[in-house]
Amino acid sequence: MSQLQEEREIILGNENVDTFDFDEVREFVKSADEKLFISHHFATNEKMLVQPRGGFPTYEKQFALYEFFVDANVDVLPLTIDSNSRLNDYTTAKKMLRLSEANEVDMLNGYPLVNHGYRSTRKMMTHFNHPVSLRHGTPDARLLIEIAIASGIFEIEGGPITYLLPYSKNFPLDKAFLYWKYVERVCADYSTLNKPINRESFGPLTATLVPPAITIVIQLLEMLLSLEEGVKSFSVSFSQQGSMIQDIVTGKVTRKLAEFYASQIGCEDAVINLVYHQWMGAFPMNRDSADQLINMSTVIASMVGADKIITKTREEAVGIPTKEANAQTVANTQYTLRILSGLPAITDEHEEEILTSEVHAIMEAIFNDPADTLWRKVFNSIKNGIIDVPFSPHIINHNKMITIRDSQKNIRIIERGNVPIPDHCYAYEKSCCDLNKDTTSIVNDIIHDIGIMQ
Amino acid sequence: MKVVTGVIGNDIHVVANRLMDLSLNARGYEVFNLGVNTYLEEFFDAAVETGAKILLISSLNGEAEGWSREVKLLKAKYKNLDQLIMMIGGNLTVGSGNSDDIVPRYKNYGFDLVCHQVDLNTGLDMLEDYIQQQAHLQETANT
Repeated sequence: MSQLQEEREIILGNENVDTFDFDEVREFVKSADEKLFISHHFATNEKMLVQPRGGFPTYEKQFALYEFFVDANVDVLPLTIDSNSRLNDYTTAKKMLRLSEANEVDMLNGYPLVNHGYRSTRKMMTHFNHPVSLRHGTPDARLLIEIAIASGIFEIEGGPITYLLPYSKNFPLDKAFLYWKYVERVCADYSTLNKPINRESFGPLTATLVPPAITIVIQLLEMLLSLEEGVKSFSVSFSQQGSMIQDIVTGKVTRKLAEFYASQIGCEDAVINLVYHQWMGAFPMNRDSADQLINMSTVIASMVGADKIITKTREEAVGIPTKEANAQTVANTQYTLRILSGLPAITDEHEEEILTSEVHAIMEAIFNDPADTLWRKVFNSIKNGIIDVPFSPHIINHNKMITIRDSQKNIRIIERGNVPIPDHCYAYEKSCCDLNKDTTSIVNDIIHDIGIMQ
Repeated sequence: MKVVTGVIGNDIHVVANRLMDLSLNARGYEVFNLGVNTYLEEFFDAAVETGAKILLISSLNGEAEGWSREVKLLKAKYKNLDQLIMMIGGNLTVGSGNSDDIVPRYKNYGFDLVCHQVDLNTGLDMLEDYIQQQAHLQETANT
């Protein structure tokens, strides 16, 4: 028995799993309808795929949500996992699920997939026969993704960096790398049976003034960590940044460099997709304004040429959205995509050049770390601040980089910390901003820059 | 002057914490930032370890009150913390409440300075005034 299989049997021997039948699950994946695989839709669909967010505790409510989404002409269904399961606390999730079932009140902020199990969840997934994307935020997702794939969920979001630095204060980063290696290997293994399982990185990170160079570097690294384990379909992503041209440039550089770095490790055969998140920062309380913001995001996603868009709702600022509001965004986004045509091809060669140099310089510094494997190089680079994510709560993050918006609302680096931004790029970034201010005014500018959409 | 700061309880709201770090540094303080999700013991341990003169606790999710009730009890277990300036700020109640009720309650828990929904720079100005006042009192006492 391989070491991976041994580990899988230990993971699936968890007391919350009702006997995992490896052979049956393998047979299911092998003969699953191609419509369940998002990789199949990416390959055959010209249109940008639309995917909302959403998860409810009970089977019935999740089912009802999917009915609304399908009526609204959804392309990809989401399965958002509750926060207890994200922390591997299945006992609390189970208790809260029981309470939710008994009292008609939602005691969880998502679907506790492990507690529901794959036998019943699979019935829902095959009933709707749409591709489903697993949205979670779990540093140790080994059990979760096993149950997901066994349920017919063939897209797995997340990664060791993007699911840790924005969400956790002290979960050990080195452990996260090893747990995600397991995820990549299991996804790669199942990908040999039918259409590939798609892995997606979470580009928005903290969604708070993260400069595109940092976003892209982390997207490329999670892509490489995934491809080197044998994954054949991967989505890089980022969220709306606040300036249309910065989004367009970010999209171009991301695509170009994803292809470049994939070919550097001999993975030209892998399919790389680009995913765009509608605005992930603070939303306006006014629901009509929120609708306008969402619509604008859709237009920008089209300018960026994304393969998939992930939507927000008009109730974002208020709380967990109702299924009605959620489905309405899907219908509105599909409408905008249908009527939007004749988009101009826009480029800004100078901005592209600057961003490309920044990303190459950071990647080079990471590859030059003396560690023997990629994950250790990345781990060291986060520890020593070569990678620095603004507003990450994690203790390992360096927090020396400072960013601010210029007059066009482009995110600019005004303090690079230990991040090896080349001097000419750094000088350019700073020249875009008015820096003849004291720190108090700059702090006030940052507060303003975080809330630009409110 | 050394200051220990952080967000109390199970509260991951990091943005204001980083901005406070920046602003305190800009005002010339030596900052020991414990970050988000920090327990009361960790604050006092850090104050002892660093010899800080100021402890600046923040809260956004409103949990601070539950923790603050234990301030006096816990602080009494430490030696040499009598001179520590205790400040708390942010959103100090769950739901809505007004400062006239909240401030005296927190002073009772053992805080010298209480800022409920006060702008960051106003709060830090208050701290500076307080430090000057204390220094003045000290001087008067010595003469």
